[in-house]
Amino acid sequence: MSESTRDTTSHITRHVDWRLWLIRLLSLAGIGASAYLTWAHLAHQSVTCGQSQGCDIVQQSVYSEVAGIPVALLGLMAYVALFALTLLRGRVPEPQDDYVPLAIFGISLIGMLYSAYLTYLELFVIYAICRWRVSSAIIITAIFLLSLPDLITEIDLS
Amino acid sequence: MASNKKKRQSTRQRRKGISTTHILIVAGVAVLVVGLLVILNTTRPQTTVTDLIYETGVTPEGEPYKGSPDAPLQLVEYSDFLCGHCGNFADTIETLSPDYIESGELQVIFRNYAFLAPESLVAAQAAECALDQGADKFWIYHDLLFANRGTGLGTYSKSRLKSYAQDIGLDTKAFNECLDSGAKLEEIQVDKAEGESQGVEATPTWFINGQMTRGGLSESELRRIFDDLLSQVP
Repeated sequence: MSESTRDTTSHITRHVDWRLWLIRLLSLAGIGASAYLTWAHLAHQSVTCGQSQGCDIVQQSVYSEVAGIPVALLGLMAYVALFALTLLRGRVPEPQDDYVPLAIFGISLIGMLYSAYLTYLELFVIYAICRWRVSSAIIITAIFLLSLPDLITEIDLS
Repeated sequence: MASNKKKRQSTRQRRKGISTTHILIVAGVAVLVVGLLVILNTTRPQTTVTDLIYETGVTPEGEPYKGSPDAPLQLVEYSDFLCGHCGNFADTIETLSPDYIESGELQVIFRNYAFLAPESLVAAQAAECALDQGADKFWIYHDLLFANRGTGLGTYSKSRLKSYAQDIGLDTKAFNECLDSGAKLEEIQVDKAEGESQGVEATPTWFINGQMTRGGLSESELRRIFDDLLSQVP
């Protein structure tokens, strides 16, 4: 085995660590939660606002879409992107590989900040809490926090 | 020892991909993206609320209507101002107005079915307070409420509702007193109870010549229903 191949192998092993696995698992959980919310939103499309609680009220509110796109669908896209990024980590040549933690950091930061806004809306505007969406907020916050150590490792300190 | 040194050198050479500047840029872009998403989420296309060009009035039961009471089609709508589907339905009805309401073929009667959230009740009371100042004022206020749905946090907060009343030239003193006193709460509850007795469980639910339909329909679907019914009118 050549020196460079050994370096690459060690690099891959180093990065496919428990944090990456956890981010991957959390992304899958996020995909599940946001896919359900997307389905629930689309199932209600052009029907009615019904006697319901929690997720239904949130989904029927005017805040459940951004420019006509369901917020849940945006979340689903973000989780799919995060999951794909965890698969890419250690499998793409450097220096591109170094940007993977940066992308995970950026996407999860967007998700976390927007989740904070949605939580505010639920508490103080819509007056309804959707547990699926709260789960998603917790998941994205966890992914954001888990992305930090890998990102810090990749910072050029020179 | 030599191996560790090589590893450190290798690591140092490898650490050239990202810097703190990259992170700051990404964080800045993330904040901008979220800001944009929030703006898009809270901004709806503003529809111009203009003076009404059709007949308005109040039914003997005290419900506001638009269109001729002699129209062959009568649509009674149960609605919640917080319900996005109700807003879309109201927009569709307004789009069809020239062909059906203004032409004297359709009368639309509004009934509150405020049930989604506390703001639903407040908005419904505000609309009833506007009705006290005239059926035309009610419909202008109704259109303004739906036009502003989702425009910022607390769209139907009392202060916003009072400001909307001022925007359309209502007697704000009378309106504010009416809203603050909660004088219309009982009426709203009666409306909802009557809706329930007729089988209303969700909004929008509407009765066209007595026949119940749940949910908003597209413009073409509504046209088809109206035209079918009109063709049956002798």
